[in-house]
Amino acid sequence: MVVVALIMLYPFWVMIITSLKSESQFLAGGGFSWLSWSSLSSVIPVGQEVLSSTIVCSASILIILCVGLPAGFAFSKLRFRMSTVVFLVIVSAMMIPLQAILMPEFVNVTRLHLTGGYFGAILVYASLGTPFSVFLFTTYFRGVPDELIEAGIVDGLGYFGALWRLVLPIAVPAIATVTVLQFIQIWDDLLVGLLFIQNTSERPITVGIAVLAAGRTTSIPELMAGSIISALPAMLVYLGFQRYLVKGLTMGIDR
Amino acid sequence: MAEITFDGVTKIFGDDIRAVDQLSLHVADGEFMVLVGPSGCGKTTALRMLAGLEDITSGSLSIGGVVVNNVLPKDRDVAMVFQNYALYPHMTVAQNMGFALKIRGQSKAEIAKKVGEAAAILRLTEYLERRPKALSGGQRQRVAMGRAIVRSPQAFLMDEPLSNLDAQLRVEMRLEIARIQRLLGVATVYVTHDQIEAMTMGDRVAVMRGGQLQQCDTPQDLYDHPRNEFVAGFMGSPPMNLLRVGLESHGDGVALVLGEQRLAVPSSYTTSHDLPKFDGPGVVFGIRPEDVEVLDTSGVGSITTRVERREALGAEILVHLSVVDAKGDITVVVNDSGAVVARPTRLVAKMGPRSGVAVGDHLEVHLNPEHFHFFDADTGLSLRTPS
Repeated sequence: MVVVALIMLYPFWVMIITSLKSESQFLAGGGFSWLSWSSLSSVIPVGQEVLSSTIVCSASILIILCVGLPAGFAFSKLRFRMSTVVFLVIVSAMMIPLQAILMPEFVNVTRLHLTGGYFGAILVYASLGTPFSVFLFTTYFRGVPDELIEAGIVDGLGYFGALWRLVLPIAVPAIATVTVLQFIQIWDDLLVGLLFIQNTSERPITVGIAVLAAGRTTSIPELMAGSIISALPAMLVYLGFQRYLVKGLTMGIDR
Repeated sequence: MAEITFDGVTKIFGDDIRAVDQLSLHVADGEFMVLVGPSGCGKTTALRMLAGLEDITSGSLSIGGVVVNNVLPKDRDVAMVFQNYALYPHMTVAQNMGFALKIRGQSKAEIAKKVGEAAAILRLTEYLERRPKALSGGQRQRVAMGRAIVRSPQAFLMDEPLSNLDAQLRVEMRLEIARIQRLLGVATVYVTHDQIEAMTMGDRVAVMRGGQLQQCDTPQDLYDHPRNEFVAGFMGSPPMNLLRVGLESHGDGVALVLGEQRLAVPSSYTTSHDLPKFDGPGVVFGIRPEDVEVLDTSGVGSITTRVERREALGAEILVHLSVVDAKGDITVVVNDSGAVVARPTRLVAKMGPRSGVAVGDHLEVHLNPEHFHFFDADTGLSLRTPS
């Protein structure tokens, strides 16, 4: 475990060390400097890009949760015609790789004139993440006793009331799991941002770093500093919600 | 508070699974009605239809004189206690108990007052700020009761609320629920598969089987006068001994044919049960274990048996007996393989705890002639003619 951890952490260590050097110190192989961090914002609009990533991530996850939660509740607790078939169709969308549908998606979003700003990317991320959230919430809610919902209904709630006031408070692990996994996936994604957010003032951090890396005179310490800024939020979110993640992913297994 | 009436209520799942079949039952205001029967008999489905959690396929269901077939659960004004309590895990005991009132928009002061009163009745006052996971099984059960009580509903519905408790706690809670129900005087429909719960708690007991109501009566009447073989075998622990026997007319009387042995049936039965009609095809003869008396010597009205098994229960011994012939071989009374209801091929008798009876002993037993039961071997219905 220690060896594996070291192998995983070593690149991150190299990133930190390299970012704390000036270009000349990096080439010389020694020294310490904050120069690359202080000059980074003059090379790319880091603040704006982090904000863009945050907006795209938050909006996408919000849509994914708003669709996945009631859908998962309905598939697990309500009886309606063709529910199994509909569930399987939605969940099977998880099997389709992004690359396979990227061009048709691009064509569709372009026709809707949504490729300039955030909206196109948000729609694509939401549609890609929703099948997983439906699957996870359905599995999670199957572990919630039917009697809990029925008790609420006899007490005077409707199904939406039961979802909002009884199920939601006990679904925190599942919500956290979906949020963390989707956050990591969307925050770290380059392809969708690159294709669907064409306004340079709205591009996310991953696209900004890619632009920086593709420059003719790329400063490696600045690139490393940018990469750390890009990677840090996803890591913090993961570490912060780790305890819920395990609970959310294993819920339903022991039924 | 209100009365409840099932009028020919039927529930069919899918195309042909008839869970409840033409159930007609009336629960009076303030009455404690127990629905009892084996798994799959339809008792829980009947209760869920009453709560509004299942649609009714046909028939009419009314609460307080109002037909509620198409009324939403929240508008039926009934409170339900579930088998696993279904407490809201993210709420405290007080919040759980006051939740229904909160939904109805009652003021905080009013909710606190009602929750406080219910908690006092249920001895839960000191646990009001705890979460359900910090409570014992019995306390959770009481919270579930409290949640029902605070609403002051027209009816309480209880779905096997004691089945998750250990034996000792179950006895305590049995008394507790009966006490609270009598205190509040609210019509209650209580579902259980435990006939001891049914006998001890209910003002009346409705026995169900295969979705159909078999008999609804007071516990003692059910025990003393079962309407059919199923009720006779289901109510009572140990259950009634049910033997397929032949009948033999002689002169103006009738005798039971138990292999080589004959047991005279008092003449009163020949008229009250119209027994001579069954001379030949035979009947199902029933006798409760407490009416099988072990004698020291053989006498009139006794039969010879052999001890096959003994179960010492502490306060008494249950002795499983086989009817034997003169050579001591077990008598095959009548071929019983086509029986719809499982009948013991042996007699069970209750004996005192100090009885020195052992497996293999031959015993003379006297069957109390005042408590004979006779059932039609084909239909299972009691042969007792209405008095």
